[in-house]
Amino acid sequence: MKETFLVKHAVGGRSFIDTGKHPLPYTWQQNGDQWIFTVQIEKSATAELLKWKDELNVFIFQEFENEPTRKLWFYVLQGPVRYEEESKQLVIVAQSKIEYIPDLFSTQL
Amino acid sequence: MIQVFPAASRSSMDIGWLKTHRSFSFGDYFDEANTEFGVMRVCNDDDVAPGRGFGPHPHSDMEIVTIVLSGAIKHEDSLGHVAVTTASGVQRMSAGTGVIHAEYNASETEPLSLMQLWFMPAERGLAPSFENVTYVADAMHNALLPVVTPEGGEHAAKIHQDLSIYLSKLESGKQLTYRQEGERRVFLMVFSGKLSVNGHVLGEKDALRITAEPVIDLSAVDHAHFMLIDLL
Repeated sequence: MKETFLVKHAVGGRSFIDTGKHPLPYTWQQNGDQWIFTVQIEKSATAELLKWKDELNVFIFQEFENEPTRKLWFYVLQGPVRYEEESKQLVIVAQSKIEYIPDLFSTQL
Repeated sequence: MIQVFPAASRSSMDIGWLKTHRSFSFGDYFDEANTEFGVMRVCNDDDVAPGRGFGPHPHSDMEIVTIVLSGAIKHEDSLGHVAVTTASGVQRMSAGTGVIHAEYNASETEPLSLMQLWFMPAERGLAPSFENVTYVADAMHNALLPVVTPEGGEHAAKIHQDLSIYLSKLESGKQLTYRQEGERRVFLMVFSGKLSVNGHVLGEKDALRITAEPVIDLSAVDHAHFMLIDLL
């Protein structure tokens, strides 16, 4: 399974992070009813993302050999979305998640 | 203040199945100085080829209005809504806490022409919802017909923001006056024909962004089909 982490601007789709094109070390985990993402990234590369931190689309794409791609989309309401200078980490906390399989979307309704 | 935005000033993109003209920053077009007009964030003028469209994708915290100018659009979403909207129809989707939707040209033979408008909601975290309404097309002849309002109605979609969208078809020589309250804004776009607005003559897909003009005089120079949005 190949996994890609993406953060895009929810208005218009401008890409801020795409580990498929520009690999970055990242982690994600569920903690209660929240999902916590951490990304090792230089602060200068987060300026635009942080400017639009209330309007983010956060995705995990999971591509399989013999199954259609699964997409996980995360909703960031109150976040927080912040850069931690000491650890040089971007931290994004999401409040909910929707999973969907684009190839099967119509048939799943 | 009245700002004129000629149709040609919009950002355009042609990828074969989609021809789009964007009034605000969107996709590969980003201009920091052109990301919003009040609560309005997107005004995309899309022509979609038969049988083609936008695959499943998410939205959140946005009021999305689709006005069909010709053809028909099919909408499907993760809430289970499946709907087809034709000319004389308006879709409103409140994305709220999140919805996945897909939208396609419902016809395999006819092109689809639509306007898609995005507005910030009055509050974040709303429950997502979808509505498909049909307005009475005859009622917009020589009148401003509300098709999206905060209250909604049988022939108007309900939006979660303090704004109203009007459509009109004004015959040549006919006039209307719109009175704007206080510091509110008006976004106006001509779909076809020619319209004079306080002396500014607009042609097809020309637009105005108007702030704090108490009286807006509308006069059809040549049968004008247009949209007027009164917003914060």
